[in-house]
Amino acid sequence: MRSVLRSHWLYVALTAVLALVAAIWAVPHLSEPGWFAYAPDPTGFTPPLPTLSPDLFLFPASAQIVLLAVGVGLLVQIYSTAYLGHHQRYRSYAMVIVLFLVAMIAVVGTTNLWVLLVGWEVMGLCSYLLIGHEWETGEARAGAAKAFLVTRIADLGLVLAILVIGETYGTYDLLGAQPLDGEAKNATAIGLLVLVAVVGKSAQFPLHSWLPDAMPGPTPITALIHAATMVAAGVYLAARMLPFYADSTVALTAMAVIAGITMLMGALFALVQTDLKRALAWSTVSQLALMFAAVAASDPEAGLDHLVAHGVFKALLFLGCGCLMHAVGTSALSAMGGMRRPMPVTFWTMTIGFAALAGIVPTAGFFTKDSVLHALESATEGDGALAGGTAWALFVVALITSLVTAAYATRLWLKTLLGPAPGGLDAHEAPLAMTGPLVVLAVATFAVSIGQPFHHGIGVVSTVIAAAGIGLVLLMWRRGSSLDWAPAPLAAELGLDRPFSRWVPRLTGDVASAVVDLDRDAVDVYPRGGAAAAALGTRGLALVQSRNVQRYATVLAAGVVVLVVVGVVVS
Amino acid sequence: MPLLYPLLLSSALFGIGLYGVLARRNAVLMLLGVELMLNAVNLNLVAFDAWFADQLHTGQVLTLFTIAIAAAEIGLGLAIVLALFRALRTVDVDGVGR
Repeated sequence: MRSVLRSHWLYVALTAVLALVAAIWAVPHLSEPGWFAYAPDPTGFTPPLPTLSPDLFLFPASAQIVLLAVGVGLLVQIYSTAYLGHHQRYRSYAMVIVLFLVAMIAVVGTTNLWVLLVGWEVMGLCSYLLIGHEWETGEARAGAAKAFLVTRIADLGLVLAILVIGETYGTYDLLGAQPLDGEAKNATAIGLLVLVAVVGKSAQFPLHSWLPDAMPGPTPITALIHAATMVAAGVYLAARMLPFYADSTVALTAMAVIAGITMLMGALFALVQTDLKRALAWSTVSQLALMFAAVAASDPEAGLDHLVAHGVFKALLFLGCGCLMHAVGTSALSAMGGMRRPMPVTFWTMTIGFAALAGIVPTAGFFTKDSVLHALESATEGDGALAGGTAWALFVVALITSLVTAAYATRLWLKTLLGPAPGGLDAHEAPLAMTGPLVVLAVATFAVSIGQPFHHGIGVVSTVIAAAGIGLVLLMWRRGSSLDWAPAPLAAELGLDRPFSRWVPRLTGDVASAVVDLDRDAVDVYPRGGAAAAALGTRGLALVQSRNVQRYATVLAAGVVVLVVVGVVVS
Repeated sequence: MPLLYPLLLSSALFGIGLYGVLARRNAVLMLLGVELMLNAVNLNLVAFDAWFADQLHTGQVLTLFTIAIAAAEIGLGLAIVLALFRALRTVDVDGVGR
């Protein structure tokens, strides 16, 4: 029995059972027509009471996300048997992954907002535990704490959004609360609160810095968080809640602005990183912003399609990064290169992943990015709630981001896989348990593109832009550039983390010392004053009690005289 | 003779006696103060006795009674002072307490 419990494959089997059950549940929903099946509650406005009934409900897009989550989760679990199997805390690690997946399924599969909130919180907890898995290092502890604290802000937004929905629609059920025919109420409030929630959860500007700082976590976990769970939940929530705030120009414009800033910023930061994992993390931030842009352009389907495609190829890239780290021992770009001969499987699968990231035909990344760009272009007509000018700006930013994305994908590809191998490096291919998931994901990168819509005009434009980005980097590479250009502000990530690393601690310290001062100077005055008054009174009483009998007698005599005088005067 | 004169005299005597008891530190002088107060009261008793022309002269009787008690009291007091002086070589009341 003990040996069974110690076996890694027990946990893989557990995850496989979970994946199988989820697949049996989700697959029939893939083909159901309709997206947000509106089923308004005819009973109407009952006083909302929080309930925790599961209320499972799937529509095609959420079924896809469930399948993505359990699929990537299962592959990560298999991968981890080789990558982390000898770790002393492997068992708790593997169980937390299962919990993570269950929480993600709860978020995606339920219509009960409170169950959704529970799943959302459990995911925050699981990511904290997994990022801090190697808590012996201070970096891992700091990254885990940062991820936990920053996503708390998101949780606050979600709680308030749920409460506002409950007050507005009289129910905490997503289906019952779906607004009918443009009769969304409190749209701006709900939209902005949902935005707060997803900005924190999906690491968008200005709460973006926790995701790159979560890199000390084990690489399979990074793959899981970036592809299947956690950050995906943010995009899913934004898309799922869209009917509540689709009419609100304010909320959609705010989302568009945040998405525009984040996608370009993340791509530029990814371009200058010297660490593969961190570069991929910034790439995730940028790609998530692309999905939010699609949601802001009122095409959540395109956003969720890109979420699935991105989940597949980003999991592939992170797991490949894990194979490279397994061979090299570090994720620094300078330690990598010349991987084609020693690690052919990793090389070819990661090449496919980078191609999908850059958006090259016929990978899934091309088709879904195409859909997102098409959605943005459609929004420039200004028919929806988003103003045409805003949509134009977002569209242009998305095109620039495509260029930068292709450039950094090429740069990472060249720096990690090609180029001269660093001296003394004895790279060797990872074991089958690690390369197997890579192959599966590489196949999936093509498979997901089956049935995706194709838009001719945008497709050509985005291909040209991607080719330009790739060509530019290749040209520089050919001319002997090391591709290690990094303007100082970009390398310092524009100092955007300063509010969190410097100002927030300083502000908190200031507030704390102000509270201490207030406590000392304002609140403590009363007890201190009481004590001083009591001491003064005691000293006065002590003067009277002098042990001098003659003084007592004097007081007595004076008292008698006073009494007599008073008696005489009164009578 | 009006009643006022003896009363004034007795008040003055009582005041002086009270002052002696309260302010003096010498035990003998404190006893003297007590005697002055007693005798001021005696003077009062005699004066009122004469003023009321009491047939039984209860005032004068009480005065005699007081004089006897005062003699006993001063005897006892002086004996205590003497014992105090023999024990501590001082009759200062502040010095005794410490």
